Amino acid sequence: MKRALSVFLAIILLFSSISTVVAASELNIFISMPEYADAMRELIAEYKKVRPDVTINYETTQTDYPTLLKVKLNSGDVPDIFASTTGKEIEVYKEYSYDLSDQPLSEALDPSVKESMVDADGNGLYGIAIKGNYFGMVHNKDLFDQAGVEVPKTLDELEEAIVKLEAAGITPFTSGFGEWWVFKHAFQHFMASATDDVAGLVEKFERGEAKLADYPELYENWFRFVDLVYAHSDDKPLEATINNAIVNIALGRAAMAVGQGPWIEAGIVEIDPDVNIGLAGYPISDDPAQAQVISGADLALRISNRSKNLDDVLDFVNWWHTSEYGKDWFIDVAKVVSPVINDRMADFELVQDGAKQIEENGAAPISIIHSTDSFHMTFGEIMQAYVSGQIDRDEACARIEQKWVEIDG
Amino acid sequence: MKINTKTRTKFETVLFTLPAVILVSMMIYIPFVSSGYYSLTKWNGISKKATFVGLSNFKTILFESPQFLKVLLFTSKYTAWFMVLSNVLALALAILLVQRLKLANFLRGLFFVPYIMSMTIVGFIWKFIFSEGFARLFQMTQWEFFRWSWLGDSKIAFYSVVLVGVWQQLGFYIVLYIAGLQSIPPDVLEAATVDGAGGWKRFFQITLPLLGPSITICLFMSLTNALKVFDIVLALTQGGPGGSTYTATLDIYREAFQNNNYGLGSAKALVFFLVVLLLTQLVLWFSRKREVEI
Repeated sequence: MKRALSVFLAIILLFSSISTVVAASELNIFISMPEYADAMRELIAEYKKVRPDVTINYETTQTDYPTLLKVKLNSGDVPDIFASTTGKEIEVYKEYSYDLSDQPLSEALDPSVKESMVDADGNGLYGIAIKGNYFGMVHNKDLFDQAGVEVPKTLDELEEAIVKLEAAGITPFTSGFGEWWVFKHAFQHFMASATDDVAGLVEKFERGEAKLADYPELYENWFRFVDLVYAHSDDKPLEATINNAIVNIALGRAAMAVGQGPWIEAGIVEIDPDVNIGLAGYPISDDPAQAQVISGADLALRISNRSKNLDDVLDFVNWWHTSEYGKDWFIDVAKVVSPVINDRMADFELVQDGAKQIEENGAAPISIIHSTDSFHMTFGEIMQAYVSGQIDRDEACARIEQKWVEIDG
Repeated sequence: MKINTKTRTKFETVLFTLPAVILVSMMIYIPFVSSGYYSLTKWNGISKKATFVGLSNFKTILFESPQFLKVLLFTSKYTAWFMVLSNVLALALAILLVQRLKLANFLRGLFFVPYIMSMTIVGFIWKFIFSEGFARLFQMTQWEFFRWSWLGDSKIAFYSVVLVGVWQQLGFYIVLYIAGLQSIPPDVLEAATVDGAGGWKRFFQITLPLLGPSITICLFMSLTNALKVFDIVLALTQGGPGGSTYTATLDIYREAFQNNNYGLGSAKALVFFLVVLLLTQLVLWFSRKREVEI
């Protein structure tokens, strides 16, 4: 009996070692954004048909992704494809990252995506995008109709809209203020209105040369907006998360969601497939022309420059971005704003509405990519402390200015 | 060949402790020493080279960073609340559970269940209770305190964290106190009764002093557990709202892994280690001194 068992085990071991020899190469993908897990698995399964000799191990997590990635990098177990944010963080991981400029996929990428993948000197292409993205105010159109009010484009209109919505018994906002990143998503619209050169302004803040109080768009409008949201949102604004935003918009419990974008649509239509939603620019000033949607890629997938199977990795990402299936995958499977040039669009309300808004009113520049998420987490915390009344506006501004220098400077 | 018994025993002792020693060194001592090295460097945790900066990280912590002092104060506040509440409640419940109650054994098990659950899971369960559960309870009862923002209000969030922390750990201290109570010889208590001591007097004059060893160990354990609190805060509030529930460990974690200041984080960890060492030794010395024996 014992002998039979050991023979059996020996055979299994033998076979397993043979099978690793046969599978010519193995790619490890370790990225955040688990919302695209199913789509990614579909993509990988499709690639298996093209290259049966390549095995792709796909791992994804959201919580603490940067920490886990650091552990992997430091233990020498660098994933072949990993994720970071775009812009400023491109430089942080540059020494692990392969420059894709001379790859075929570089032709296929949307120019706005390419721009956010360059290093600090503006050179190279250190990442690809799993999605382009739109940022704006997700709103429930039916609730606005019900209250008989237009989606506001200026702060004064916003105040009127709040009055009318509340008169109709509708909660105007679902704040999502429990999430640190909601603040960065909303704040960038105000940054875009404060300057024509967002990157330059962020740099000034990082050097400690700019003051929020010098920019009424930030010091007045931003805080006015945040105050309005806090005063007219869910019962417990600081416990409100992305899940509350999804549920409240889908069930018509709130008219507007702050800091969200097309990524919540899948969740919303799961609850109510017939819900009538839209994406609009935030009312950020007195000028309706400034209520613009922001477009850009905020997350990057990086190719490890020390991958053992670099050619296979490059082959995979090139196939993903240039083959017919790969290009359509973004639209039909992942249903995102396509990061590669394509005439078609995903059939998501928020994606199409976002594109329509941009066509009509233009897009504002994306500014979150000029700061790291380390800073943004602290920024979110400071804003939470402000809305909950722990600190006043000047204290909040002082802390934001200080952290900008300390963390990103 | 004959090995004499003494050498053999020695050899066995070394052999059997070796796996534990190796594992503990790998998991604790070696990282401890290397974080000692990193505390002297400026390193973001990502790039391959760390720049040696001497003691400047410690200078930053001690003189330029009010944040770390703030989290130390918060941690002490948490520790004080946690130690008092968990010890008083555990002792009270232990006394109740050594009585001849019908359900005593069942209840002992019940109180112990949270302790065997992972802290993170406990955190998520309570997060759900505080948000969804309390919202539903408010609809049913209209009691105002169900409507409070238990995790979203910076003043209440602290007590929510203490509440969950105590709730989770209580069973452990109850068990320790029950063991202590059961080891008190009944004849001493009977003698006291014969001498005319009432219930309260018996408790304060006989039971409590004889519980000395249990109290020492419970104080020590609750102190270290409270100082090290991390996962429950991470799961419940992530230090929020607005950074109002940052404990020392969470601050160290944030410094090292979120702010990408691995060197500064390591230095903070070392400073915190010294604080914990000092405090625990003090408490241990103090409570040992007061123990009595029959």
